Amino acid sequence: MSVELPKPTVYDPGDDVVEVVRGPDPGGAAGFYRAFGETLRGLKTTLGRLVEGPVTIQYPEEKTPVYPRFRGRHKLHKFEDSDLEKCVGCSLCAAACPADCIRVVATDNDPNDPTSAGERYAAVYEINMARCIFCGYCEVACPFDAITLGHDYELADYNRSDLIFTKEMLLAEPVERTPLRREGE
Amino acid sequence: MPEEKDMSGKSNVGESVDAGEENVTSSDSAVAVQVPSLSYESPFTVVDALPPGYSKRPAGEPERNVISFTIDGADVRAPEGIMLVDAAKYGGVEIPVFCYEPKLGAPVGACRMCLVEIEGIPKLQTACSTPVRDGMAVSTRSPRVIEAQNSVVEFILANHPLDCPVCDKGGECPLQDISYGWGRGKSRFAEPKRHFEKPVALSPSIAIDRERCILCYRCVRFSQEVSEDYQLVLLDRGADSHVGTFDGNEYVAPFSGNIIDLCPVGALTSRAYRFRARPWDIEQGGSVCSMCPGQCNVDYTVRDDKVMRVQARENAAVDDGWLCDRGRFAYQAWESDARITQPMIRQGEKLMPARWDHALEVAAAALKKSGPRTAALAGGGTTNEEGWLLRRLMLEALGSPHFDSRRGGKLDADVARTLTEPAVTLSVPDVEWADAIVVIGSELVDEMPILDLRVRKAVNRNGAALAVATARPSSLDDKASVTARMAPGRDDAFIQALLAALAGNDVGDLASRAGADAENISQIAGLLKNAKRPAVLWGERMLYASTGTASAKAICNLVAMLGLAATDGAGHLQIPVQANGRGLREVGVLPNLGPALSDSATQGMSSDEIADALGDELSAILLLGTDPILDSPDGARWDAALRAAPNVIAFSSWLDPATERHATVVFPAEVGPEKEGTLTHPDGRIQRLRQTVDHAGEVNSGWWVLDQLAARIGVDFGVKVVHQVTAQIAEGVSIYAGISSNEIGGTGVRWQERTAASNLPAPARSTFDLEIPPAAPQAAPGSSSLRFGTFRSLWSGADVENAATLAPLVTASRLELSPADGQRLGVATGDSVTLTNAAEGKTTAVVALRDAVPTGSAFLLDSQDDGLRRIAAGRPELVEVTP
Ligand code: SF4
Ligand code: SF4
Ligand code: SF4
Ligand code: SF4
Ligand code: FES
Repeated sequence: MSVELPKPTVYDPGDDVVEVVRGPDPGGAAGFYRAFGETLRGLKTTLGRLVEGPVTIQYPEEKTPVYPRFRGRHKLHKFEDSDLEKCVGCSLCAAACPADCIRVVATDNDPNDPTSAGERYAAVYEINMARCIFCGYCEVACPFDAITLGHDYELADYNRSDLIFTKEMLLAEPVERTPLRREGE
Repeated sequence: MPEEKDMSGKSNVGESVDAGEENVTSSDSAVAVQVPSLSYESPFTVVDALPPGYSKRPAGEPERNVISFTIDGADVRAPEGIMLVDAAKYGGVEIPVFCYEPKLGAPVGACRMCLVEIEGIPKLQTACSTPVRDGMAVSTRSPRVIEAQNSVVEFILANHPLDCPVCDKGGECPLQDISYGWGRGKSRFAEPKRHFEKPVALSPSIAIDRERCILCYRCVRFSQEVSEDYQLVLLDRGADSHVGTFDGNEYVAPFSGNIIDLCPVGALTSRAYRFRARPWDIEQGGSVCSMCPGQCNVDYTVRDDKVMRVQARENAAVDDGWLCDRGRFAYQAWESDARITQPMIRQGEKLMPARWDHALEVAAAALKKSGPRTAALAGGGTTNEEGWLLRRLMLEALGSPHFDSRRGGKLDADVARTLTEPAVTLSVPDVEWADAIVVIGSELVDEMPILDLRVRKAVNRNGAALAVATARPSSLDDKASVTARMAPGRDDAFIQALLAALAGNDVGDLASRAGADAENISQIAGLLKNAKRPAVLWGERMLYASTGTASAKAICNLVAMLGLAATDGAGHLQIPVQANGRGLREVGVLPNLGPALSDSATQGMSSDEIADALGDELSAILLLGTDPILDSPDGARWDAALRAAPNVIAFSSWLDPATERHATVVFPAEVGPEKEGTLTHPDGRIQRLRQTVDHAGEVNSGWWVLDQLAARIGVDFGVKVVHQVTAQIAEGVSIYAGISSNEIGGTGVRWQERTAASNLPAPARSTFDLEIPPAAPQAAPGSSSLRFGTFRSLWSGADVENAATLAPLVTASRLELSPADGQRLGVATGDSVTLTNAAEGKTTAVVALRDAVPTGSAFLLDSQDDGLRRIAAGRPELVEVTP
């Protein structure tokens, strides 16, 4: 049984169209050029790279160096002389954070066994790295330079909850894995 | 507003404030372009605006004319005579202030932050203490004013440490906001700042950082002029000035916490809240405190689903923006380990944790078995909704009319209706504007603390005459023009004597039966007679004495004799013992009266009768948020009664004696911020409790548990959410007809002011024949027997004991004696004495000699101690005190 299909009609744009641009009709010399000439031109580029040798960075064996002001994994700092935490748990970083990924719970500092140099300290300091957009506002907001963004960008993990960095993790000296870009590089 | 605060939080970080620059320039140009006099309809121009919660102006409050003046070029209308700072708000203009706080009374002009320029006055004026006059032309942004504002900020910051990052006020600090908005942003002071020892404890609950104090006097004025505990003073002079208590002791007072809210900087901070959260970490949830009948409106500060702090939420018709320390600090107990957060079932001697459905099954089975032989008591924090479902559970599911929300005997129907009549009921603002206030048989500061402040306000600011008639000396005595003392529990005789004096009869005999001075009674009568708007505040506690019925009738007669119904703004206010005493009564949690005090088809047993019948006629009892061993004046009797009851089902947050010793099934009860429902204020204002945090542990709502119990017994209440219960109340309680959560809103609504109020059944009679009261107890001369009364302290109860910063205030045992009796018996404050009650044996109590106690009387603090409770059992009139 055959069904009669409606005849395909050519779309007539009518008066709306000012100008119709069509490609050249295939065939003849133009068709030959398009089949071989253009292809050869492309191949020239491809073959030209071949002699340059490979440029692939063998990550993770090899790492891209970052600029000194690159904003990566955060670090909380301590005073070098007294070993007290610089962070006083004021929550200003949390207020500044546009991703709302910092959680600070402060508490009273014991004057006889101080944790920070101030009246208070951060009992809980967490950054959710899964949410952080590495804008660096926290660093700008901190009145004590207690938090800075480092260079480490290797933050992947198997578990989302492992991406919530605790105070201990942020205080710990991070393993320096990221090479810095040299001057002029 | 929060954004603004956040920004200022950041701006002040570091040494100086780099702010204000932009503001200054922009407003400079605003001044340069001379704005022609605009006639502009500002949204703030509601001239007859009433304070929050007011539905009408109190009868005694004088009306104010409306005047018009110009501020920054705009024409503004405002009530005459209010201060410029407030008048400016009618034009939407904010004038910065530190020391001005209208709640504290007359302005003092201490900080100079509010300087403005007034046309025709050469010097700048303080807007907080200059009343607005018709035709005034005020500028708040002229170059001179801006210069002055900048300089005042600079001056205030000269000695201010600006340690915002460690300061608890950061982010919600008026000093930050004002420095940011009105400051120059730079300081020219290079000199060292003054230093004090960083935060020191002003009291167990409050820390003071004297460096941050800007000497605005607010806290001192509160202590000296509002709560009148006279403890806080400004010590030393000049740059050394600092706030402290006059004697160097801790600042312990019933209302001390308010100074934390008042302080415009981080000088006074709550030790329980310090550093727990920043304003951007928290949410504020409005609700109502249900710890006492005062029902102050509160804001719960919530972080991580926990209440971190309680603040006043100003409702001028209820609390005037103050809170007592119990309401403010007792929240700490809600997180304590002592709280019960899971159902328990008694197995042998011990209460063992149980699963909810098991506990519900066991309880429902016990209730079903005991059926009409079940009794129930509702406690103070019970909401109207829980009360309503309790009533339905008892009547519909169990067929038992034996439930009560009061302690003591039954309330006579006519007495109840007479005292509930809308025309004779005072509202709280009426108290403020009454011209004569008589307090009978109530120590307000312990029983409804917030009203104590209102009475002081009436006396101090509106010139009300105050009379205090109590057995135990009251903290209001100092404010009273007449104080009368009576023998404990003899309120009925006292009121009768007062009635006699009002009628012009001889009071001598009745006065001696009351153990009072006839002269004082005549003075009080004179004061009431001369008053246009008398206010009678009386304590429900007197109804629980053996002479309670007579007292209630006497109060009715007093109401009639004073003609309180005829005068707007005159009336009486009952100070209930239970926080929601009025609401529970009105939704019908009474053995003899139905909803809206209607006649009830059934007659059940009152609390007193239930205590006697438990174990015989009654076999089970539901305790809804109450421990009668602690809550009733006759605790020892309840201890025995509950022991005799085979089934005691308790809804409780704490292992109080009744729960610990006698409960067979315990349901964990909700605390304040977990509750949703309505309460009724003693003046008839229906208020809304709103849930602000999730239930702790396995706690479930009280109304839900009652519904589940009914379902297991076979009755469907048809409620899935608590608002359906409110709707049932709106249908079933005629005087609350049609009430809804929306109508109640954030500030509540008095049912007396709704049309449904006319549904209150009229009393058959409103005056009563009174019998001649018995003679006052008389100790044999020279004997060691003393008249015996009890009192309750604000600092008592499980929530106070388990709150870290309040616990130090709890007194285990206190027997107040007059110094004369102390000398006669040879005891001094702190000594232990033996108390002997002929029927109940002996126990020891710790003596406190108090000058104001009348000789021949002894007052024992209601306490948890069994021995002391036994002494109070049977409400003896005399006890023997021996060293
Ligand atoms: S870098 Fe930006 S997003 Fe990340 S924690 Fe700091 S403020 Fe938040
Ligand atoms: S890191 Fe800095 S900004 Fe954040 S809480 Fe600590 S001190 Fe404050
Ligand atoms: S009181 Fe505290 S938050 Fe306010 S300005 Fe001073 S240090 Fe900063
Ligand atoms: S402590 Fe606070 S409220 Fe008291 S005077 Fe100082 S700044 Fe004012
Ligand atoms: S607010 Fe006017 S002087 Fe302080």
